[in-house]
Amino acid sequence: MTLDSARINWGKLLSRILLYFVVSVICIVILYPYFVMFCTALKSRQEIFSIQGTIFPKEWMWSNFIDIWQKAPMAQYMLNSIIIAGGSTAIAMICGIPAAYALARMKFKGQTAFLGFIIVSQMFAPVVLLIGIYKVMQTMGLTNSLLGLIFINAAFNQAFTIWLLRGTFMSISAEMEQAATIDGCNRIQAMFKILLPVAAPGIVTTLIFIFINAWNEYTVALCLISTDTIKPLTVGINIFNGYNIIEWQYLFAASIFAIVPVVILFMSIEKNLTSGLTAGGVKG
Amino acid sequence: MKKPYTLLNKAEPYLWILPSIILMSIFIIVPIGFVFRMAFSQVTKAGLIKGFAGFANFEKVLGGAKFAMVLKNTIVWTIFVVVLSTVLGFILALLLNNEFKGRKIARAIVVFPWATTLVIQASVWKFIIDIDYGALNTLLKTLGIISTNVNWTPTPEAYFAWEIACGIFVTIPFVCFTALSGLQSIDSSYYEAAIVDGANYWQKLFNITIPLVKPSLTVATVLNIIYVFNSFPIVWTITKGDPANRTDTLVTYLYKLAFYNGKQGEAAAVSVIGFLILLVCASVYMVSTLKKGDE
Amino acid sequence: MKKIIALLMALVMAFGLVACGGSSAPAETEAPKADAPAAEAPAAAGEKVEINMIAAQYGNETADWWANFVTEFNAAHEDINLVVDVVSWNDIYTVVNTRIANGQAPDLLNIDVFADYQADGLLLPAEEWCSEETYAKFFPSFLAESIVDDVVWAVPDLASARALYYNADILEAAGVEVPTTWEELKAACEAIKAYDAEIYPWGVDMTTDEGQACFAYYAWNNGGGFVDADGNWALNSAENVEAVNFIVDLVNSGLTNTDPTTETRYDLQDMFAAGKVAMMIGPNQISKYCEQNGGINYGIASLPTNGDKAGASVGVMDRIMCFDNGYTEAELAAVTAVVDAFYDDEPYADWVLMEDFLPATSTGNELCAAADPGMAAWIDVIGSAKFYPAAKAEWADVKQGVIAVQQEVLLGGNAQELLDALQAEIAG
Repeated sequence: MTLDSARINWGKLLSRILLYFVVSVICIVILYPYFVMFCTALKSRQEIFSIQGTIFPKEWMWSNFIDIWQKAPMAQYMLNSIIIAGGSTAIAMICGIPAAYALARMKFKGQTAFLGFIIVSQMFAPVVLLIGIYKVMQTMGLTNSLLGLIFINAAFNQAFTIWLLRGTFMSISAEMEQAATIDGCNRIQAMFKILLPVAAPGIVTTLIFIFINAWNEYTVALCLISTDTIKPLTVGINIFNGYNIIEWQYLFAASIFAIVPVVILFMSIEKNLTSGLTAGGVKG
Repeated sequence: MKKPYTLLNKAEPYLWILPSIILMSIFIIVPIGFVFRMAFSQVTKAGLIKGFAGFANFEKVLGGAKFAMVLKNTIVWTIFVVVLSTVLGFILALLLNNEFKGRKIARAIVVFPWATTLVIQASVWKFIIDIDYGALNTLLKTLGIISTNVNWTPTPEAYFAWEIACGIFVTIPFVCFTALSGLQSIDSSYYEAAIVDGANYWQKLFNITIPLVKPSLTVATVLNIIYVFNSFPIVWTITKGDPANRTDTLVTYLYKLAFYNGKQGEAAAVSVIGFLILLVCASVYMVSTLKKGDE
Repeated sequence: MKKIIALLMALVMAFGLVACGGSSAPAETEAPKADAPAAEAPAAAGEKVEINMIAAQYGNETADWWANFVTEFNAAHEDINLVVDVVSWNDIYTVVNTRIANGQAPDLLNIDVFADYQADGLLLPAEEWCSEETYAKFFPSFLAESIVDDVVWAVPDLASARALYYNADILEAAGVEVPTTWEELKAACEAIKAYDAEIYPWGVDMTTDEGQACFAYYAWNNGGGFVDADGNWALNSAENVEAVNFIVDLVNSGLTNTDPTTETRYDLQDMFAAGKVAMMIGPNQISKYCEQNGGINYGIASLPTNGDKAGASVGVMDRIMCFDNGYTEAELAAVTAVVDAFYDDEPYADWVLMEDFLPATSTGNELCAAADPGMAAWIDVIGSAKFYPAAKAEWADVKQGVIAVQQEVLLGGNAQELLDALQAEIAG
């Protein structure tokens, strides 16, 4: 992919410039709502609703970012969200990887039925399932517990986990695993040693997907969790959405904090998106 | 290579999928059972089940004056959001698959819309397009593009269009990263062969890239259709279906039925109808795509 | 095969690990705030009588107020463990209905509606769980709003009343008096618009949030309303049609905020405090809100009426009710203790003043009027206010129905036909 240094390739240079331009424009469009969020979070209430709107705050109210930690147990909420999202991701992967592996590498009766079952499980909005979910949780004694939310989020994300991983596994040739099996590895060893490293990009995508979905889940958490100390961030920050006043500046300030862990997580494992293939020894 | 055919070998695949089946059955299939039960029951306003109702709930829903409009809205919403976000997300993935300085940052930025709870995301959009204190008007006025506030939402249709835009905005990252992981797993030897054959960019795109990414993208698209069809927070936050159900989708409509009008039986019936629609679409997909891909 | 069993066992263990990690984490980390009654419940809670309550979140201070109340109450009552969930108004119906559908009704509930719960036989009559002393504090006229079949099923926790708020500076600059009739109102709006086209003369909220209030503001001040003199639904009266047409005409004439179907009264209140809306109908909390946010020069007046027809303010009342969860005597006594403590004069006055509501008890009235002179005028207003017919079983449908009618008329529908259809649907 390196530019040929001997002579300038005008076509390539132009496409580079075009690439940077388009990507920049897209990034600006994507960031605009966050820019608005950020500036609003730094304004005073009066300024937000003043007739002469402002882009940047006239007075930078950095105190808003401090106030929210005093007005709500933000650290606790954040910790709860991390536990929920992390736990859901772990369980969804633990259940999903074997299932995806079986679908990709084995032939068995009811394979199509299982795929159909997975799809059907996604066809009802969580909002519709609330009453049933509550009943299940009640039977298992999991209402008002983080564990209940972990299971629910893991279950809701099974479909994507299995489908995406199945696709990833199927796109990887089974030859190497078979070779390993001949060398004395059993299926599980072959899966861990050969398949999973090669499948890293797909696995990372799946991880991000589950984590983010669980991180953002609102409806079920709202109904299942009543104790303030175990609320996730999404539900907890509702405290700024009162009866008479919506405290936009606090709501947005809290939301910005809610984005940070996800972006950090993403950046820390993003390189696996690209390096997965080379790690697996596929030529490239 | 074939092992002796034993009962254990036969059972093996089922053991592999068992944890997943248990997890989904308990936490999703059982609650779905409750929805069906409720759809065929007489349910009081406080939510207690008082006997079997047959198809009475369905008759009331289908006879409702607003149902056809709400269904139409839902279809428009799903098609626009899914098609546009898939196309745009795929293009974005192609761009981000190039190697360039700052790619890591660009990819992190693309995660933003996805890393934000939908309720907040929709609130910000509402905040941006508001005529009176909206950020968009302020920005355009400061830049000197407009002189007085523009009403970005003069009609219900305009509101709905903004909601669709917001839906596309939050769905693009999902498509983009699914496509990106598909792009990343394409063996570069394909391209090398194509370059030897003298293929240009577009030929490579349509003959190699798209066919190879398609499997992972079709899966994502089906799930995407389901998620978008059932999406709740965006419409709810921006308009709550107002005015007069003009911006309602099935989910916001049934939410109002259940929790504002206290008609949980009818709400369950609406969700069963939505389910049947999705089921038909998914079956068509299963029959057409899966057969092709697997055989 | 052994490996498979090993894998399954590993799975089970992983489940267990996550399970332990998940459930023990909140206990290990110290709660940053003291408002976590459930987490602090001692191990011996089984011997205590546990009372569960769901309370609506009125504002930023509600949760703190309840946390404080719970701490003090539990300290004073060693045999009772009170647990209060404070839920925002956006979500409270979802939460409560989900719990009721699962047979997990709270013991006490603080919300606005009660008729649906009563209709299913879920509630206990107020006199069974209110001490005589507390019961005697309520205004009979307030209690009357919670009567079904001659029994009082809920008691009011607070009230609020609506009045016309106007920006005195804008009205003076535009050279208009405070309008008392619809005619004057329209003239005033036109004068304000002529004075400054950037200002919205009149604020209207027809949203799903509170569009029924909009209907009431005009119908009740035109001799119409939801029910007739006998208490039967009378939604399609000529007065109601005229009322809906009047307000829709104001909107269509460009004399109001742009988007009455998506702009809630919170948006209006923000714009009023910013001087963008000149007049609006709203609750007494707007006074405090304006003082805290910009300090415009505002005034308060009665709602405008159509000509010389009798005027009425719109009162809103929230309630506390007790679910019939098959109580033992000790449990019922604990419920009574909670209710008594809530209406005890000092915490109650504090409760009402906290978010600027109006008291629903006579003793509360005296205390609040003493603490806040501005309150006295409002207490008079609430005396003349009409309330929604929330005790009627069809109220939820009527409420959503009139909201839809107004929105349809705004989009070009015919008010008479739409109200006729609604009346036919509701009253059969």
